[in-house]
Amino acid sequence: MIQLTKEEQDILDGREGRLRQTALENIVRYAQVLGAEKLCKVTKATVFCGNHNYLNVCECGDFHDVFTRMNLARDERIVFDSVDKDCYVQSCVAASDQFDYEIFDQPKEEFDKNSYYLEESRKAGVTIAGSCSPYLMGWLPVRGEHFVTTESGVTIIGNSIWGACCNADGIEAAFWSAICGRTPYWGYHVKENRYGTHLIHVDAALDSPLEWEVLGKAMGKRLPLTGCTPVLTGNFEGVDFVKLKSFFTALAITTNCRMCHIVGITPEANTLEEAFMGHEVQEEFTLTEKDIRTAYEALCETEEGSVDLVSLGCPHYDIHQIKEVADYICGKKIHDGVRFMVWTVYPIKAMADLNGYTKIIEDAGGTIQTSTCPVTIGDCFLKHYKGQAYDSLKQSGSVRSDGCAERVYYTDKYRCMDAAVSGVWKEEYRWKK
Amino acid sequence: MEKIVLQGRGVIPGIVEGEALVCADSITGWGGIDPKTGVIKDYENINKGKSIKDTILIMPGSKGSNGWSCYFGAARAAGSAPKGWAFSRIDSSAGVASAVMQIPTVVDFSKEDDPCVRVKTGDYVRLDGTKGTLEILKTSSQ
Repeated sequence: MIQLTKEEQDILDGREGRLRQTALENIVRYAQVLGAEKLCKVTKATVFCGNHNYLNVCECGDFHDVFTRMNLARDERIVFDSVDKDCYVQSCVAASDQFDYEIFDQPKEEFDKNSYYLEESRKAGVTIAGSCSPYLMGWLPVRGEHFVTTESGVTIIGNSIWGACCNADGIEAAFWSAICGRTPYWGYHVKENRYGTHLIHVDAALDSPLEWEVLGKAMGKRLPLTGCTPVLTGNFEGVDFVKLKSFFTALAITTNCRMCHIVGITPEANTLEEAFMGHEVQEEFTLTEKDIRTAYEALCETEEGSVDLVSLGCPHYDIHQIKEVADYICGKKIHDGVRFMVWTVYPIKAMADLNGYTKIIEDAGGTIQTSTCPVTIGDCFLKHYKGQAYDSLKQSGSVRSDGCAERVYYTDKYRCMDAAVSGVWKEEYRWKK
Repeated sequence: MEKIVLQGRGVIPGIVEGEALVCADSITGWGGIDPKTGVIKDYENINKGKSIKDTILIMPGSKGSNGWSCYFGAARAAGSAPKGWAFSRIDSSAGVASAVMQIPTVVDFSKEDDPCVRVKTGDYVRLDGTKGTLEILKTSSQ
């Protein structure tokens, strides 16, 4: 039985309109499945707007019809025209770049439909940001703040690094919460549930974001799929936010883990004892450089061949990462026939323009793109490139699942750029320690 | 055969029967299935190429992206949903997917009754979302 406040009961009774009523009905239904006893207020949300590929199962062209059927799970037509007044709602990646479609071989009608979907969401009160990395625009929940997001990476970063509270909800539930300002008080929203379960000793020197990312994969393969909050110990000298976001994003897509303590680094793990909060260690193991090497071997194609697409920036790059690309590619030329793209969010692209990084990358033969990413655009774009290289485990893994490339290579951004310049994959581009 | 009834917590009511599809490593979110056909695309999945449509889908919980639920919701809209499903242990993404799908759902089994261990793909099973049971009516080896 779920205890509702008077305000929540009024919403559920329809006193604040059908949209908020439906959103709260779904939240209550979701809370019942989980076994939650009450709801909590949500003050930050990222939502998945735009004409995404999975929505194509609805043949109807009306945004609100599609929205109701797919995001509200109802067969009536409910107009999405508002979000909760106390919730800061921002959009995640869309299905198209903010301005370009021809470069992605995307039909103009798809681009126009995406723009129409975004505009309807904007009118409802969603700020169009178009990024998997909302923190780049100041969307930063603080410790103890309840938030929802469609991004698995942001969920685990928010819980672990910021001490804010979020579960891995889903695209539909993020909309429900953004509209009615509530989520089930369950899981990581409850302080007492945020304790460590598994103790992992890291006996490896982690120098680069790629090494942290592959550690996330190696660790995810050893952990149970559900119900774990790992705690890491080791020498993490030189760790920074870029390394942590790479690690957490890889861990989140390999398991359904959405919180991870790192002793001495994350705010709820000043000590091992604080991280476990008096609970027993369910399992303990050590990960070494050998485990990281073994995990990497399964992530990168071994066959040599042409490289036709090189994509950097998943999660979306910050301005310093773009500077590093510009510094390295300056004076070099991307090989004829190779598409070289760097992905970020619109305000960071504006900073790259201001600082001359965009011009350096364009002079080399590449582009900076915004608001989406290769796998979100999908097959219409990717099917044209037989050999594809990524500096992201998440992008390369999704492309492999989609089967729209013959060869998918995964390495760090500098070796990716080497491949873009040479136009072929060489054994020396593989990551090695 | 000996009657095998696994007890969990029923969260979406309804009784359905069908062939079990057991994904003991779950299915990766965001692109793990083709929603139009229900076919599993996840490159690491043991059941890659099989369809979830009209099965009793059994998983330990969700895995991967927060986009996990929407691919199942899209499968529902396309008529490619499972008849019912069971999760060894409920988690938030599986909770959202269940709230969206509204198909008979049983969750939170004991370790001894873990359906990912006790049920095999191809077993004919009955799922009761009211009583919270998953019964093996015929094993795939029979």
